[in-house]
Amino acid sequence: MSSKFDVIVVGAGPAGLAAAYKLASAGFKVLVLERGREPGSKQVYGGRIYAYWLDKYLPEFRKDAPTDRWVRKERVSLMTDESVTTIEFEVVKPEKTSFVTSLYSFTSWLGKLAASAGAKIVTEVVVDELLRDEKGRFIGVRSGQDKVYADYIIDAEGVNRLLLERAGIVPRLKPELVAVGAKEVLKFDNRKIMEDRLGLSEDEGLAWAFAGWPTEYLPGGGFLYTYRDSVALGVVVYLTAWRQLVTPVYDLAERLRTHPYIARLVAGASLQEYSAHLTPVAGISMAPPRFSYDGLLIAGDAAGFLMHAGVLIRGVDFAVASGVLAAEAIKEAGRPDALSRYDDKLKSSFIIRDLAAFRNADKVLSGQFAFNDLPKLVNALMRNYFTIEDRPPTIASALKTTLGESNVSLTKVLINMMYALAYL
Amino acid sequence: MKFVVLTKAAVPLSSAIRIDPKTGTLIREGVPLSVNQWDRDAVEFALKLRDKYGGEVIAISMAPPSGIPALESLIGMGVDRAILATDRAFAGADTWATSFVLAKTIEKYVPDYTLVIAGEETIDSTTAHVGAQVASHLNIPYVYYVYDAEIHGNKVRVRRFLEDEGVDEFYEMDLPALISVAKGTQMPREISLLRKINARDRIMQATNKELGLDPECVGLKGSPTFVAGQTGATFPPRKRKIFAGDPRESVKALVEELKKEGLL
Ligand SMILES: Cc1cc2nc3c(=O)[nH]c(=O)nc-3n(C[C@H](O)[C@H](O)[C@H](O)COP(=O)(O)OP(=O)(O)OC[C@H]3O[C@@H](n4cnc5c(N)ncnc54)[C@H](O)[C@@H]3O)c2cc1C
Ligand SMILES: Cc1cc2nc3c(=O)[nH]c(=O)nc-3n(C[C@H](O)[C@H](O)[C@H](O)COP(=O)(O)OP(=O)(O)OC[C@H]3O[C@@H](n4cnc5c(N)ncnc54)[C@H](O)[C@@H]3O)c2cc1C
Repeated sequence: MSSKFDVIVVGAGPAGLAAAYKLASAGFKVLVLERGREPGSKQVYGGRIYAYWLDKYLPEFRKDAPTDRWVRKERVSLMTDESVTTIEFEVVKPEKTSFVTSLYSFTSWLGKLAASAGAKIVTEVVVDELLRDEKGRFIGVRSGQDKVYADYIIDAEGVNRLLLERAGIVPRLKPELVAVGAKEVLKFDNRKIMEDRLGLSEDEGLAWAFAGWPTEYLPGGGFLYTYRDSVALGVVVYLTAWRQLVTPVYDLAERLRTHPYIARLVAGASLQEYSAHLTPVAGISMAPPRFSYDGLLIAGDAAGFLMHAGVLIRGVDFAVASGVLAAEAIKEAGRPDALSRYDDKLKSSFIIRDLAAFRNADKVLSGQFAFNDLPKLVNALMRNYFTIEDRPPTIASALKTTLGESNVSLTKVLINMMYALAYL
Repeated sequence: MKFVVLTKAAVPLSSAIRIDPKTGTLIREGVPLSVNQWDRDAVEFALKLRDKYGGEVIAISMAPPSGIPALESLIGMGVDRAILATDRAFAGADTWATSFVLAKTIEKYVPDYTLVIAGEETIDSTTAHVGAQVASHLNIPYVYYVYDAEIHGNKVRVRRFLEDEGVDEFYEMDLPALISVAKGTQMPREISLLRKINARDRIMQATNKELGLDPECVGLKGSPTFVAGQTGATFPPRKRKIFAGDPRESVKALVEELKKEGLL
């Protein structure tokens, strides 16, 4: 029985499957090991994938990847229990720059692509250990009693990265490094109802982020994305904030669904799915010391390749791109001890560049301002401005009244606003 | 010796079971299938016999192609090869049409079988008819609820345990024969990764082109069973009461409430 492969990929997520697809297409004998029932069955995400880098790294997706709805409308809402202030952005002519689809369908599409290129995907297998030889080189994996060997290992195990932890490459995950997301999928019997309520034409998508109330004004945010005939509604909250929450994390999605403002948008839709997952927030600050070792490459969430920009999370395009770069590094290296080129490739790609620019975003964003002061102030300001009582409202007077009502100084607002704008 | 084990790719969780309100039949489309839980006992039973007496374990299943992953996991346990009888014509089968196809598949592909081993019942239909009917189609003796078996020459000696009476019963049958294994009596072994890697190569698919069965005898057409009517359990509206606060107090309050409802 053959148990030697050219490449073993741990994890059938976007990162692992993109690498497997590229390597199998180049003639490598590839084995993908996934603990879920099938590729995609263990994943949770919000709903939107950006197309720009996919066009560069996996242009195949334009042909037949499932893209439920291309995003036409972007909304950011600052939310309190009493009111909601929303900024909406829409370009006049539709552009195909990002799409909403379930990660499950995207991942199974990628899985089929990899399998048809010749990669062998074995599911319901938990990898317990990355195997090393006496010189410390990575040579295979162990699952239960069984060992399988390969010249190259790609670790694409996602955010939990227990294997990297056991191999001594990364320390245990700390709460500051991650957030937890809980999400519901709510299905409409008639998608026209969903489109009408959200102001969408047929096939148009909406990406909507909420700050403030959904997380009890703690760092994190809410989201709503439109799939074909359902919406993904969820909340992500920084793990450090978890103890301060009054609502248990697992009830946050339901709590958001029952906010009167949201409730009428999703009225009548039925609950199809409920899921929860960790997500990195520290980005590059949680990266392992290196991305390549003798015989081993690390890609996707496991490497910290995730951008948490305010209330938006973006990881799938990073995962795919890093998987493709890992495949290229292996193709070019020709030897398991010449993989440091993967680090070089990452450094000269958008991945490290973009993530480095956001190096401290989580620290700025985990402060009080963006999630507590800002939503409360802006909503108070709007109320003062739009409510006609015995004095004429102007923006300036409304601001003055609002600031007078709160304990925040104008200078603090302005300074923080600038910080937050740099990242939001 | 050739041990044939019958395994169904079943709808796994009771929560995944949905009934088509129009036809009254089980909705299988879009539902992930996995090995019927009690068939893992049958497989373990077969593997133990093979390990003791030598020979081969062959799993046979009738299912749509979405049943293949279930067979792969059985190969992972140690089954030597598997045959999937699959054809659109087989869809909608009741137990009679199912057992007909299974019996014909055995006759065609494993004519020299020693023992056929079935699970006690399935978790998604629980008729426990299929084993007996396969034996009838094959015209061989059968015993249900078996705990263990020994083979002596061309005879099999089986033990079954009667729970209510608390007694063991022993039967001896001529081979070939069929047994169904009492559920929950075996400790199914773990699935090996190395075996799973090449599992696909050990699975054969047989459509009705190969099997050549009379279309009138298979699938919906070959099924004498029809659903004459059904009464659905109605779900009382949920009260959605939340007992928050100190767990001791809230449990007490919950118990009181359940008593008031006459449920405790
Ligand atoms: C709530 C939430 C919302 C998000 N929203 C978005 C969004 O809108 N847009 C976006 O681009 N990104 C979003 N993300 C991030 C995105 O989901 C991830 O960045 C992306 O899935 C990472 O891909 P990956 O392949 O690195 O890891 P994963 O997708 O996590 O895949 C890892 C795979 O490895 C498997 N695995 C792990 N350990 C083992 C083991 N020991 N043995 C075998 N298999 C193993 C897992 O089962 C899993 O299938 C969101 C994340 C969360 C949690
Ligand atoms: C009144 C009634 C109406 C039904 N109508 C329909 C219908 O319209 N459409 C429909 O699809 N189903 C229908 N079914 C279900 C169908 O009869 C059964 O799912 C199927 O024939 C197997 O029976 P079972 O699951 O009860 O197996 P059991 O008899 O409980 O199974 C015993 C053992 O037989 C073996 N076995 C059972 N099925 C298989 C298999 N497919 N392959 C290999 N081995 C197997 C296994 O070892 C199993 O442990 C109906 C059932 C009833 C009672």
